[in-house]
Amino acid sequence: MAEQEVEHLIRKEYAAGFHTDIDSDTLPPGLNEDVVRFISAKKGEPEWLLEWRLQAFRAWQEMVEPEWAHVKYPDIDFQALSYFSAPKSMADRPQSLDEVDPELLRTYEKLGIPVHEQEVLAGVAVDMVFDSVSVGTTFRAKLKEAGVIFCSISEAVHDYPELVKKYLGSVVPQKDNYYAALNSAVFSDGSFVYIPKGVRCPMELSTYFRINEQNTGQFERTLIVAEEGSHVSYLEGCTAPMRDENQLHAAVVELVALDNAEIKYSTVQNWYPGDEKGKGGIYNFVTKRGIAYTNAKISWTQVETGSAVTWKYPSCILRGDNSVGEFYSVALTNNYQQADTGTKMIHIGKNTRSTIISKGISAGRSQNAYRGLVRMNPGAEGARNYTQCDSLLIGDRCGAHTFPYIESKNPTAVVEHEATTSKVSEDQLFLCQQRGLDAEKAVSMIVNGFCREVFKELPMEFAVEAGKLLEVSLEGSVG
Amino acid sequence: MTDFQQHALQLADAQSSPDWLNDLRAQGAQQWQSAAWPTRRTELWKYTPLVPLQNGDFKRWAEPAGGWQDHIEQIDLDATRLVFVNGVFDPEASSELPPEVVRFGDASAEQKAVISEHLGKVVDTERHLFAALSNAWVAEGVLVHVPRGQRLPKPVYVLHVSTPTAEPATANSRVLAVLEDGAEATLIEHYASTADEQNGFVNSLTEVVLKDNAGMQHYRINMEEENIFHLGGVHADLYRSARLRGFTIAQGSRLKRVDYQVNHKGEGADLNLQGIYLPRNSQYVDYHTNIEHCVPHCTTKEVFRGILADKSRAVFNGRIHIHQDAQKTLAELSNKNLLTSNKAEVDTKPELEIYADDVKCAHGATVSQINKGALFYLQSRGVSRKEAEIMLSFGFINELLQEVQEPAVQNYLGPRLARLFSRDNELLRHISYE
Repeated sequence: MAEQEVEHLIRKEYAAGFHTDIDSDTLPPGLNEDVVRFISAKKGEPEWLLEWRLQAFRAWQEMVEPEWAHVKYPDIDFQALSYFSAPKSMADRPQSLDEVDPELLRTYEKLGIPVHEQEVLAGVAVDMVFDSVSVGTTFRAKLKEAGVIFCSISEAVHDYPELVKKYLGSVVPQKDNYYAALNSAVFSDGSFVYIPKGVRCPMELSTYFRINEQNTGQFERTLIVAEEGSHVSYLEGCTAPMRDENQLHAAVVELVALDNAEIKYSTVQNWYPGDEKGKGGIYNFVTKRGIAYTNAKISWTQVETGSAVTWKYPSCILRGDNSVGEFYSVALTNNYQQADTGTKMIHIGKNTRSTIISKGISAGRSQNAYRGLVRMNPGAEGARNYTQCDSLLIGDRCGAHTFPYIESKNPTAVVEHEATTSKVSEDQLFLCQQRGLDAEKAVSMIVNGFCREVFKELPMEFAVEAGKLLEVSLEGSVG
Repeated sequence: MTDFQQHALQLADAQSSPDWLNDLRAQGAQQWQSAAWPTRRTELWKYTPLVPLQNGDFKRWAEPAGGWQDHIEQIDLDATRLVFVNGVFDPEASSELPPEVVRFGDASAEQKAVISEHLGKVVDTERHLFAALSNAWVAEGVLVHVPRGQRLPKPVYVLHVSTPTAEPATANSRVLAVLEDGAEATLIEHYASTADEQNGFVNSLTEVVLKDNAGMQHYRINMEEENIFHLGGVHADLYRSARLRGFTIAQGSRLKRVDYQVNHKGEGADLNLQGIYLPRNSQYVDYHTNIEHCVPHCTTKEVFRGILADKSRAVFNGRIHIHQDAQKTLAELSNKNLLTSNKAEVDTKPELEIYADDVKCAHGATVSQINKGALFYLQSRGVSRKEAEIMLSFGFINELLQEVQEPAVQNYLGPRLARLFSRDNELLRHISYE
């Protein structure tokens, strides 16, 4: 394909870039114990949670930023960030969607999420997070009927304190890592899901995130608890408006799958990646981890196309016998994006199984790394892991890297790891082109085929969005 | 600076060496003392703690000793033989040297120039701490310098013997091979020790320069007994269309770490590297390989296999780094491990770092026990379970052994390894080597 075509296509602009003007009740930049107390007070949290946050904050102060990831970015001044911002209309909480700030609703509509129609058509309950506070939750009643709790974590703290107290930090402890500690100290809001024993959640649960306030760090906290024998599928998707300053996003997601439960967690991540010069973009430092008890299953599926810097390792602790962990990932980087992403599978129980399928696509001047750990503990009798990491390079100025760590302490455990790296094959391109497809379409098809194993794991709505996203992000960066 | 670093520097001072090596020694000492001591958080030493080495009390140089011949069987081949006992040259056991092979101390002005040009220049001492130590300690060493277009008629066989000493002691080993354009040679390095009661620390470093179209077969046979500490490195620069065929095996040792670094510096360079590690008892083997593809059109094929028994541990780290513009690279790495005991542990990390797009790279790693289906198949044909296990374990590494080009090395290793797997000699008759 001609070079200028490539150039043209690489310069595809970020389609979801716009900014909504809403007054925010924003805290001035800076971080100290008072800020933590302010956030906690603002949300009317009980004493134990404040204490929990303060513990995390004190631990965070002692910690140093991790440097081992294959990413480079200027130092973050944590004192220059603002740690709380809530849309003004929060003062009197809207009782239904009609009461929601219309400006806000229009934002979602621009993103192609018609909330009203969604209720009827898609059958998806949306817990919308606009900056730091949940503003609208749909389908609550329908879920309540099934006994499912799906609300913001601040609401959960008030309404179900014993559940939150029991599980918050049980999978990702406050001191787990630098960003998890920061999140534990200042987390603003997020989602809480509780599926009672034996219940199959009647619909896919979904949250859309947006970062909207300049200079605001976004610290989501998600906690999903699936009781024995229950089943839930959770969708998380995000886009962010165009912006020049780098923003920090340090979320924590905790999944607890008790005996025989199954949690499927799907993500489409499309934060603003910065412009073609590498200016701006979101820093995405996320800690996601699930713990699976006997016969339980946790499945992570992610499509990562956004963010200037991504640092994210959705992991599974396979604690119970026969538990199953899955990780399906497509990570696409373009221009100056950097991604260091992968998973950890910690096999503790007997006959635990894990599958890792990771597809990395690098274009432009981006760096895309897979970093994974598979650990077979001495007790992981008969455990099994299969890992496949494939990388596709598009353009001669990008990088694709693979850093898999394999630790095995049990002879009956079987670990297999395979990785390949190559560019889009000339033969495949030629075949498509001589059948009348233009190069761009051909590449899009080839890349979609390359990612097929991961896409087929996504719920329907997401699979469509993911395919489209990939096409838009990649369009033409092929030659 | 740790006590260990301190003692190591004192050892360097206590040593006599040719004056013309002083610059390199000073530079090595400088790097050694300013380097941060590796801990668990140092990525290159993540799985291999140096604490046992630090506690080893290595404050003196090893003395030469006799009587080792009864304990060590040499590789039986017609070669230029150089024998070092505890790091000290043994002229009796060594053969006469051809003009292409010389000890550093006997080097002619011309050979000194070659040594000065290349010694310590192939290895990246920033990345390899113990290579800096080797520089600080360099005194004795072997130069193999093959002139343009020539082929060394006999292989060069360097045997390094360690014997137990009254108190823990240290030995240094250094080899430099420079093959000019179109030259060819075979180099066999053999490390052996006489008894399980070894208490020594061997620091070894080999540097290889293969100029345009040069070709080399290199063997590093690490067959030491229990309890020795061995930190070694093989570092090679490959220029245009140079070919390096490497083979290495590691067995024995309380702690053995061997770093292979190969730099493809000329287009068309080719590396074929094979390794076997067979730790048992409480042995600890660590192989780190790093292949740098700096230019286009180079190839790498790397296969490492390990079988771990008892409470042994093995670490493998295979990195392939494709630099920007190193297009049309072909690189393959495979690491397979068999665990035969539930106390054994293996940590493997094959790494790919790629900055060029028109390349084909792949790596694979597996860890498992002996395939149950294969065991069943053999048993169903009347082979006892024990025999079947031995046949399958031996077969697992025999594939690599069969590729060894030098028959003498194959004849030496074959029966030894066969014996290693069959603790019961009766079973040996099934294996073709006896």
